[in-house]
Amino acid sequence: MASSAAVPFWRAAGMTYITYSNICANLVRNCLKEPYKTEVLKREKVHFSVAKWVDGKPQKPTLRSDTPEA
Amino acid sequence: MAMAALRREGRRLATVISPQPITALRSSLLYEEQAPLGVRSISTQVVRTRMKSVKNIQKITKAMKMVAASKLRAIQVRTENSRGLWQPFTALLGDNPSVDVKKNVIVTVSSDKGLCGGINSTSVKISRALRKINSGPEKETKYVVLGEKAKAQLVRDSKKDIEIIFTELQKNPLNYTQVSVLADDILKNVEYDALRVVFNKFQSVVSFLPTTATILSPEIVEREAESGGSLCDLDSYEIEGGETKAEILQNLAEFQFSCVLFNAVLENACSEQGARMSAMDSSSRNAGDMLDRLTLTYNRTRQASITTELIEIISGASALEG
Repeated sequence: MASSAAVPFWRAAGMTYITYSNICANLVRNCLKEPYKTEVLKREKVHFSVAKWVDGKPQKPTLRSDTPEA
Repeated sequence: MAMAALRREGRRLATVISPQPITALRSSLLYEEQAPLGVRSISTQVVRTRMKSVKNIQKITKAMKMVAASKLRAIQVRTENSRGLWQPFTALLGDNPSVDVKKNVIVTVSSDKGLCGGINSTSVKISRALRKINSGPEKETKYVVLGEKAKAQLVRDSKKDIEIIFTELQKNPLNYTQVSVLADDILKNVEYDALRVVFNKFQSVVSFLPTTATILSPEIVEREAESGGSLCDLDSYEIEGGETKAEILQNLAEFQFSCVLFNAVLENACSEQGARMSAMDSSSRNAGDMLDRLTLTYNRTRQASITTELIEIISGASALEG
């Protein structure tokens, strides 16, 4: 059981279960054959902007996106 | 004699007819300059431009309604499918909206764009109410805001309590990877005992239920399980592999949060499109009503000026004759 033994390692690397499962899901997606692979990878795009607030003031927003800026 | 009577009648008619459309039109004529002295016919220019603009607005709202309807159809299926994601979690861990903890984090889900009725105000209102319920000594409540509209409302009175704001969620079609990365960001950046997700649950095109989903941190789950209640069944589950219960619970809580958030974001997007559809529908109907009223006024004014002119011509002719 490789997966159960892996838990402490990714936890120690500062990952959450969500990150870990996302990496796994991406691996599975990469195993698909060609017409489906690009379709699936194209579907799962990340794009949003984050702004942290400290003491009632917004910090500079950062963009989390895996598509290059147009 | 007959002509004199007609003349008198005509003058009366003119005074009776002309003031009426003017008062009806006053609101639209206010900004217009007064007609030069001695010009008797009423200009219908203003009404005509107003009618044109109302017609254009109606076209726009109709188009927006169509767009919302087609978007709604696509997203509704995905929303209904995503409900299967959180249901097992609720079956296992239950939903404890009344849990009493120190660090509350309220995740308010809203839309980036407006013109969609009251759904954003509802979720903001519910968030504020939740904060009030959960406030007390030694307790703190923080906001995590998704979407531009809730941000605009919450900044006004709860600036100090806002922790993170996420926007531009719907640039690409919503997908699980995106929402899970977002959930990950929330988990890493806030300390919480209970996360309360506030969103509008989609029921039908015209009805949305403001909903809260509560996600407890692993420690709190453990505490609740020990104190009994709905969570004490957890011990009857067998754990496979070499992990401890705390580890399992932590993984489970994280995964639960991303699933619940995914569903919440989808439900809210779906409600947004539905609300926009009905809002645009009623606004195009209003534009139609307004257009009807304006057309009526326009025609009446035009008719009145024609009548006046006729009377003037006739009276002039009769004056020459007599």
